[in-house]
Amino acid sequence: MKRNVAIISVGYNGRFVSKRPDINIPELIQPAVDTAIGKTKLKHDQIEAYVVGNMHTFEGINQPHLWASDHFGGSKKPVMRVATGGSTGASVYQAAYYHVASGMYDVVMAIGWEKHDEGDAQVGLMGILLPEAFSLFNFGPDMSEDRGVAGLGGGGSTGGAAFQAMSYLTKAHAGIEHIDRVAAMMRSNAAKNPYAHLQQPGCTEADIAKTPIISYPLRYGHTCPTSCGAIAMILVSEEKAKKFGITDRVAWVKGLGSGASDATTGNIIEGQITDPAEQYMCKVVAKKVYSMAGIKDPRKDIQVAEVYSGFSHQDLMWPERLGLVDEGKSPEMLDKGAFAIDGELPLNPSGGVTSTNAIGASAMVRVGEAALQVMGLAEGGHQVQRKIENVVAHGWGGLFQFVTVTVLGRTPVKK
Amino acid sequence: MPGNVVRARVPITFSYKNRVGHALEQYINGLKEKKILGVKCPACKKVYVPPRTVCGKCHKPIDQMVEIGQEGVLKNFTTAHVTIANGEITDVQQPYIIGLIKLPGASSLISGIIKTSSVPEVKTGMKVKAVWKETTQGDYNDLAYFEPA
Repeated sequence: MKRNVAIISVGYNGRFVSKRPDINIPELIQPAVDTAIGKTKLKHDQIEAYVVGNMHTFEGINQPHLWASDHFGGSKKPVMRVATGGSTGASVYQAAYYHVASGMYDVVMAIGWEKHDEGDAQVGLMGILLPEAFSLFNFGPDMSEDRGVAGLGGGGSTGGAAFQAMSYLTKAHAGIEHIDRVAAMMRSNAAKNPYAHLQQPGCTEADIAKTPIISYPLRYGHTCPTSCGAIAMILVSEEKAKKFGITDRVAWVKGLGSGASDATTGNIIEGQITDPAEQYMCKVVAKKVYSMAGIKDPRKDIQVAEVYSGFSHQDLMWPERLGLVDEGKSPEMLDKGAFAIDGELPLNPSGGVTSTNAIGASAMVRVGEAALQVMGLAEGGHQVQRKIENVVAHGWGGLFQFVTVTVLGRTPVKK
Repeated sequence: MPGNVVRARVPITFSYKNRVGHALEQYINGLKEKKILGVKCPACKKVYVPPRTVCGKCHKPIDQMVEIGQEGVLKNFTTAHVTIANGEITDVQQPYIIGLIKLPGASSLISGIIKTSSVPEVKTGMKVKAVWKETTQGDYNDLAYFEPA
């Protein structure tokens, strides 16, 4: 790390919802930008550069930097657009971090959004997946008729995730009821987050169990919604944070990293199929990030986790792959209440991705929520009350094989 | 619905002429002879099925074709409720099972339709065997499905 970087402000456009027919995409982004700036003493023209991103094609658009820059204040300023699928938001934030850490800029804004009601996510997914899937002929998966790419045959991304869920349950000796239970917990957590989409206060395992199976063992209640929402964050150098006099309620970036794996390390659609729940790359990236952050024992040193789970079984899988829980032990942790907001390892106090998913925003929302937890500014009752030193935020994208990990903390890493 | 929403429908056809490459061509030709082929990495001894030309783990070119057994273990499965044919996704009348199968000698899993007399009969760990079309023609569909062994 060249320079220490702090997240000094996190802004949402408002509550994430399924449809916003009253506004267009730039109008969705702008309030998030204004909110993030409004929480500081900064003015728009003090933002030196922008990194922005949304999920390619899901809104039926491909190059948002063509037309949205006036609305986020990026005209006549350096703008970079980043897209890495589901992890886009985290990659946008990481690029913003590099802008500052490198010494090139002191004050940079990262923006992630999705306005799902404008396009057709499934058509968008086909637009992304089809070209990839056809190139996968080179690696062998059969694209013809019923067997198709198993993910398509099984029903979009849920079909692909179903194999991961099945493998996870088998290895952890857990049942579909554990997925129901963690899904219910996320929807009740969401009820304490004023910005969350699917808020179901007191949602129970039985409520989730009533929903129909999409691709066994995944139910409708285990899948994320398609949300409209935007998030903006301001990242500044340590020098500027001191100059602005804002060093107490900030979240320091202590470690970050990303990695892509191939099927040989545990994937389903890309290359060879081995075990979609192994997620070897997540383990590798987490280890590197913890060492960068000076964390020796993540179980002791990390107090909260915000993981990216488009499907509820992942809320059990990721804490294990991130080294926060022994392999196969998440169901036990869940059953004893350890993942609750007041538990020993609060997991997605925000309600997570299965409650709110504006894709291009989602992976940055994990980082933003981690920042708010560190700052002690999470609103509406989802702030973790015990002392927080470090929070881990995670994202995944691509075809279940791209991972991002970040550790934010209350104090910067000493140089 | 407010009146300020424009709804547009634009028909798009994706069409591809994808080259399967050297290794897969041999695999597909093998299917015609009712054989399942893999390729073995000389360094780590991993056997990739279907075959590829490079070992991702060792970063070494691989070209040693090996024949794989046809009776293996069902490692993973899900239910599918739609099918895709000629680019169109359509609902199926009855859900069907797509499985991931570990064949003897292979380090990876291959996907295939699992046919049993009843869906609840399908369990991870069950033994399954390949069922071929009567007349094969050098096509993925030559390997029709897997059934309990």
